[in-house]
Amino acid sequence: MAEGKGGSFEPEIIAFTCTWCGYPSANLAGINKIEYPPNVKIIRVMCSGSVESCVIMDAFENGAHGVIIIGCLMDNCHYVSGNKKAEERVEALKELFDVMGLDSKRLRTEWINASERTKFAKAVNEFVDEVRALGPLPQMKKAREAEPRTAEQTKEKVKQIIEDTSAFDCVECGKCTTVCPIATFDPNFAPRTIVLRAMEGIVENIATDRDIWTCFACEQCNAMCPYKVDYSGFIRGMREEAVKYGAAPLCSQGGLIHSVQRIMANADLNQNRLAWVKDDLKVADKGDVFYFVGCLPHYDAIFKDRRLRLKDICESAVRIMNKAGITPVVSNDEKCCGHDLNWTGNESDFEKLMEYNVDLIKKSGAKKVVFTCPECYRTFNSDYQDLLGDFEFELVHISDFVKQLMDSGDIGADDFSKTPYKFAYHDSCRLGRHSGIYDSPRQLAEGFSGDNYIEMERTKDKAVCCGVSAWANCNAQVKKMQIDRLQEAKKLGADKLLMFCPKCQVHFDCALRDEIPVDRSEVDIEIEDFTVAMARLLSLMEEPKKEPTGTDE
Amino acid sequence: MEEGSQATDGKKRVAAYLCGCRGAISRHIDLESIAKELSISPEIVTVAMHDALCSRDGQKFLKEERASKNFDRVAVAACSPNIQGLIISRALEEEGMNRYLFEQVNIREQCAWSHADRDEATKKASKLIRGAIARTMELEALEDIEVPILPSALVIGGGVTGMQAALDIASEGFKVHIVERSDELGGRAYKLSMTFPTHNCGICCMQYCKECVFTPKIEDVHQNENIEVLLNSEVEEITGGFGDRHIKIKTPDGTVEFDVGTIIVATGTKTFDPSRILELRYENKDVITTVELEQLIVEQRDKGGGLKRPSDGKVPETINFIQCVGSRDKVKGNLHCSLVCCTYAIGQAREIKKVLPDAEIYIHYIDLRGPYRGFEEFYDQAKGEGINFVRGRVSEVVEDHGKLFIRALDTDSGDLLNIPTDLVVLAVGQEPADGSDVISKMLHIQTDIDKFMKDINPMFPSEFRRGVYVAGTAQGPKGIRYSIEDAKAAAASAIDLMQKGKIKFPRIVAFVDEERCRGCGRCRDACEYEAITLEEDKEKGVTVSKVDEIICEGCGACAAACCNKAIMINTFKREQVEAQIRALLQEAEADG
Repeated sequence: MAEGKGGSFEPEIIAFTCTWCGYPSANLAGINKIEYPPNVKIIRVMCSGSVESCVIMDAFENGAHGVIIIGCLMDNCHYVSGNKKAEERVEALKELFDVMGLDSKRLRTEWINASERTKFAKAVNEFVDEVRALGPLPQMKKAREAEPRTAEQTKEKVKQIIEDTSAFDCVECGKCTTVCPIATFDPNFAPRTIVLRAMEGIVENIATDRDIWTCFACEQCNAMCPYKVDYSGFIRGMREEAVKYGAAPLCSQGGLIHSVQRIMANADLNQNRLAWVKDDLKVADKGDVFYFVGCLPHYDAIFKDRRLRLKDICESAVRIMNKAGITPVVSNDEKCCGHDLNWTGNESDFEKLMEYNVDLIKKSGAKKVVFTCPECYRTFNSDYQDLLGDFEFELVHISDFVKQLMDSGDIGADDFSKTPYKFAYHDSCRLGRHSGIYDSPRQLAEGFSGDNYIEMERTKDKAVCCGVSAWANCNAQVKKMQIDRLQEAKKLGADKLLMFCPKCQVHFDCALRDEIPVDRSEVDIEIEDFTVAMARLLSLMEEPKKEPTGTDE
Repeated sequence: MEEGSQATDGKKRVAAYLCGCRGAISRHIDLESIAKELSISPEIVTVAMHDALCSRDGQKFLKEERASKNFDRVAVAACSPNIQGLIISRALEEEGMNRYLFEQVNIREQCAWSHADRDEATKKASKLIRGAIARTMELEALEDIEVPILPSALVIGGGVTGMQAALDIASEGFKVHIVERSDELGGRAYKLSMTFPTHNCGICCMQYCKECVFTPKIEDVHQNENIEVLLNSEVEEITGGFGDRHIKIKTPDGTVEFDVGTIIVATGTKTFDPSRILELRYENKDVITTVELEQLIVEQRDKGGGLKRPSDGKVPETINFIQCVGSRDKVKGNLHCSLVCCTYAIGQAREIKKVLPDAEIYIHYIDLRGPYRGFEEFYDQAKGEGINFVRGRVSEVVEDHGKLFIRALDTDSGDLLNIPTDLVVLAVGQEPADGSDVISKMLHIQTDIDKFMKDINPMFPSEFRRGVYVAGTAQGPKGIRYSIEDAKAAAASAIDLMQKGKIKFPRIVAFVDEERCRGCGRCRDACEYEAITLEEDKEKGVTVSKVDEIICEGCGACAAACCNKAIMINTFKREQVEAQIRALLQEAEADG
C-alpha cells in the first residue's frame, strides 16, 4: 500500500485518458506547471469508450484505490459516442462495486476538453482527496504467485491426474465423443484426444491448449463412459496444471467475474449483498435454515442491461420459505462458493472461499443449508465435502426442499395455481448429471402443471448443456448449441423453459439477444427461473411487466 | 510477422531509454536512480539515459544502440508520445525496429512539470517507465495497412469552394464528380453583386450581376472534361472506406453510382432565419435581410438604379442596419460570430450612400469585426462618408401607425434611441447548410458545438481523416478568399493522395479472434463506423464478425462491447493495458 511521507494513506489512482481530450488536457496541465497529486497514473487509451469493465476491475484487484476515466466533452467525442458508452458502462459497474463493498465512489468519469488544463487538475485533485478520505482497501490479491512449474514437474502432475481420474482405463472407444455436445457442433473437438495428448506426456502446449478450456464439464461423457473415466475431473485437474504452467484462461467478460470472485476470496470487504431483502421478507441472522444465495446480486448488476431480474430468484426462495413458516438465515457476509475458480484452475482461492463459507454457516448454527443455484449446491455437496469430509449440516437444493415442504404439508399442493402456459424443464448439468437431482423438479412441475408440462426430448442425464461453464468458454459453436436447445423446447410447444441455474438463464438469454441464423420464431421462448415460477404460482411474486425478449438491446 | 533484425530467436528483449530533455526532466527527476533501479535482466537488455532523445544527436544515439544491441522493442520515458515521440520512434524504425514494438511514457508533462516534490516525481516516473516496459513486453509486431487510393474525387457542394477544388483536382487529370443540390453552380457567392472590403465584382465575376457578361469559373467547371456536374442532385449513400468509397447520388434522372478515392465536403452555409427573433419584426415588408437588400439593389439596377423599399416603392430616407442577427446570441440564435456580416453590411451601406447620398444610415453593432486586410481603412472611409455607427444591440423594431422605429441604447453616449426608419436591414448570420448534418454523419465527420464540421487539428487545415477533406464554410463562417484557400489546400491534399495511389496507415484497428467470436452482433451494433459485419464461415459452419480495417477508426467501442473479448484493438489489447497497469501498481511491493 502506498504511504505518504507522513505515513498517511496515499491512494493509487489510475486515470484512463482518451487520446484526443483527456491525455492532451493532462499534457497541457503539465506544460503550464499546474500541480496535481502524483497519486494519479495516466493510461492513454484511444477512446474513453474503449475502457473495459474487466480492466477496471483488474486495476482494483492489483492494488488501485480509485479509477477515473477522462474523455472528451459530451456530444464532442472524437468517435461520436464513446464517452456516452463509457458513462453507461461505469454507471452499471458502480452497482457491482457497491454490492462488492468496493464503494462506487472509487469510480469516476470526467469529460474534459483538450484545452481545459485547470479542469483536469481540479478533477484529479478532487478525486484523489475523495479516495484518500475513503481510505485504504484490503489486499485483494494473494501474495506473489509461486514460480511457474517446469515441464518435468507438470508431466509428473499430469500423470497423477490421469491416474486419479482413471483416464488410463480409456480404451479410446469414442463413446464420449459421440455424446459430447461440443463435438456435435465442432467436429474438431474430441474429448479423448485431450486425454491422449496428456497420456503421451505432451505438456509443452498445455498453457496454450484451448481444448481444455472448451469443455463445459457437463459430464455427458462421464455418464456414458463404460470405464468410468472421470473426464470432468481430468479436465479440472488439467486446467489447474495449465494455470500453474503459465496459462491465462480465456474467460468471457474478459475475466471480470473471476476477478470479482478472487477479490472475494482474498479481501474482506464490507459487502452490500442484501439490498434485495425487502421489508416484508422474514430473514434472520441465526437459525436452523441457512439460505445460500450465491452470486445473484452480483450477476444482477453485471447483467443489468439484460433485465434478467436475477434478484427475483432469492426473493422468491425466501417468500416460499416464509410461506412455509421458515425464517431463513441470509448473510451479508456470504461469499462466492468458488465454483468458477475451482473449474478454472485456481485451487488456492477456491479453498479460501470454501473455508470461509463453511465457517460462516457453522457460526449461524444452521442445521440445513438451502441452495437455489445448482452450482453452489454441487460445489458444497461434492467439492467441499470431498475436501473437508461430510458436514454436520444438511445440504438441500430448493427443488428437494420445496418437495419436502409439500410432503410435510407445510405447503399444500392446492396452494399452487395451475400454470396458464405450457412449459418444459431444462436440466442444468450441475443439478442433474453432477448431483443426480432429476425427480423433485419433475414432481413439482407435474404438481402445478395441469397438463401443461412437456418433457424435453434430450432430458435428464441426456440433457444438452446451456453451452458455457465457469465463464470459461464461449464461441460460435456454443451459440449453435444454445439455439438448438431453445429450438427443441419451442418445437415441443413450450411457451416457457424453466431452469434452476441462473447461469443457464444468462447464457440462453445471450443466444436470444444475439444475431441468430434461424428464424426468431423458432427460438422465441420465455426463459424463467424455476424458483421464481413457483413463487409466482404460489401468488408470492408478481408477474413481471411484459418486456419483449430478444433484440431489445 | 517481422521481428527485430537482431532478435531472431523469437525472445522478447526490451531496451529502456530515459530522456533528460535538456534538463527539463533531469533537473526535476533523479533519472540516475531510476536507471540504477531498473536492473538489467534477460528481458531488459539495456537501460540508458540521454540528454535529448529527439535531438539529432539523440536520434543518432538511438540508431547506434539499435545497431549494436540485441533488442527488438523499446520503452522510452520522455515527453508526450503525441509530440516528440514520433521523432524518437521514427529514428528507431529507420534502423529496422518494428514501430509497433515501441511505447513511450510521459515523465515530463506528467511528472517533472506537475509534481514539485523531486522524490515524488522520481517515484512516479520510475513507476511509469516500469509500466511502459511491461506493456512493451506484451506488444506485437505489426505491419501498417496499405490502402490503394482510387484516382477520382467527389465534391459535395457546387459553391465557390467546391468549384475551386473540382477545378484544381481536374487540372491534375483526375476525374471529379461535383454534386450540387440546387439547379446551378456558384453557390451563395454567385448571388453577390459586390464583395468587400475591396468593392470588387465578386470573385472572378461570379455574380448574378447583369453587368457581368460571362461567368468564367462556372463555365470552366462545365466545360472541363474531367468534371461531371450533377445538378439538382443529392448524396444518397456512401459506403466503403479510405481510398475506395462507393457513392450513390440521387439525380433527376435516377440514381447515379460511382467509386471515388477522395471526397471534398463543401456543403457551405445558409443564412439565419430572422423570424426566430420576434422583436425584430421580420414579418414587416420593410424589414429585410442583407441578402434581400442585395437582390433589391441588383433588381433596381435594371430600373434606373437607386433603391426602393419593398412595401410601397418609396425611396428610403433613413435606413438602419442591425448587426449580429442570429449571431453571438446564445438564446435565440447561435453563439458563434459569423465573421463576414460586419464587412458585408458596411459595404452595402456604402453602396447605398453612392446611390442615395442623402440617406441617413445607421449601423447598430456590438463590436465591429472584420479580420481582413483593408477592413480598418474600409471602416474609416465609411465613417467619412457619413454613415452612423451606433454601439449597442437593438432592443426591438417597433411598428407604430404604419411607421417603423428602432429602439436601442447608444451605449457610448448612454442615450436611449427611438429612430424612425424607412427600411431595416438585418445582418443575418450563418449556420451550416441544410443537410450538412446528414453528410457529416455519413462520413463520420465530427461536428463542433457550433454544429459546423471540425478539423482533426484546427491548426492544419485539410489534415482531415482518411481522404475526406472539409473545405470552405462547411467548417465555419469565412470569407470567399479563405474558402478558396481551403479549397486549394484540400484539393492539394487529395491530389497528393491520388497521385501516390496508395497510403500506409497504422494498424491500430480492431481484429477478431474467430475462435472466440460467437457472432452475436454486439460489436457491430457498437461500431459507429459500420466497420464490422457478420459473415458466415462456411467451412466451420459459423457466423463470426469481420472487421474492415480500412473503415475501422480504432476507437475500441467494439472491444468494450464484446462479452467474450473476441474482438480487440491492436496495441490496446486487454493484456497489454493490464500489464501496464499491474506494473504501475506493483512498485509499492518492491519498495517493501
